[in-house]
Amino acid sequence: MNAIAGVFAVSCSREQSTGASTLQRDRQLNQFFVEVERRALRIAEIGVRDRDEALDLVQDSMIKMARNYAERPGDEWTPLFYRILQNGIRDWHRRQKVRNRVMVWFGRGANADDEYDFAANAPDPAGRSPDVELQTAQAMQRLERSVHDLPHRQREAFMLRIFEGLDVAGTAMAMGCSEGSVKTHYSRAVHTLREKLGDHWQ
Amino acid sequence: MTESRDSERLERQAKALFDDSVERLDGATLSRLNQGRQKALEELHKPGVGNWGRWAPVTGVAAAAAIAVMVMNGTTVDVPVDDPVTVSDFEMLLETDSLEMLEDLEFFSLLDAVDTESNGHVG
Repeated sequence: MNAIAGVFAVSCSREQSTGASTLQRDRQLNQFFVEVERRALRIAEIGVRDRDEALDLVQDSMIKMARNYAERPGDEWTPLFYRILQNGIRDWHRRQKVRNRVMVWFGRGANADDEYDFAANAPDPAGRSPDVELQTAQAMQRLERSVHDLPHRQREAFMLRIFEGLDVAGTAMAMGCSEGSVKTHYSRAVHTLREKLGDHWQ
Repeated sequence: MTESRDSERLERQAKALFDDSVERLDGATLSRLNQGRQKALEELHKPGVGNWGRWAPVTGVAAAAAIAVMVMNGTTVDVPVDDPVTVSDFEMLLETDSLEMLEDLEFFSLLDAVDTESNGHVG
């Protein structure tokens, strides 16, 4: 009888500990998403120039992250998440290319740049003077346009290093390439951006 | 030296502008992010995908490889096509996390048919 009670007690305590660890993992992942989601959204938005599409991409990335990588160590989550997101952005561009080919064939080619409404997608005002607000918005538009126009590997390296603040090793993991490649892509990106934005930013 | 200072300035300014735009995301967008997060967290409590689910990526890659072999051998192509299938097409099909593209095979078949027809008209 005592033995049965003992087994029951061990079983209950295991369930409790499993439940507690599940709850802890939920909280940790929730916290991780809270910390990363807004920057991820803006990074995706710069990549695809459409907020709705960017929201979908971020949500898909969070779902894939929760489904496949929640058990991985927490310090791997950020590069893993961005790897999923960057793959999503790349797939999105491929699909767009295919769609555009079909649309051109049907005589309904669309230029994504023409459709992107910067005013509609600009952040809400936050109590600053209209002059400052306008200058900031214009500077951000120039930056977004210039970053978007970079070759995609350079764009990824720049956004992950500067916007997300990943180090070279984390960026390499997120991009699925060597640290040397990250340095090369990043350096070229900065060089190009300096040339493009230099006049406005000096 | 000046070049390095310019780069640092650009990095600082870019980071500041980006952070500012993140801080000023509107309520509707934040709400949608929250919904997406909750949906993702629900995944943690869904039952496991099981053994079939585990093999899904492998079977996907195998299917893509089989299709690649069929296309290369020309077993499914009756009409001569000017543009051969390129390596990048296979890379796109075989790339990890791009397996959803396989769902669009019908669509790509249509696209190939459209291309072939288009080439026929031009030539």
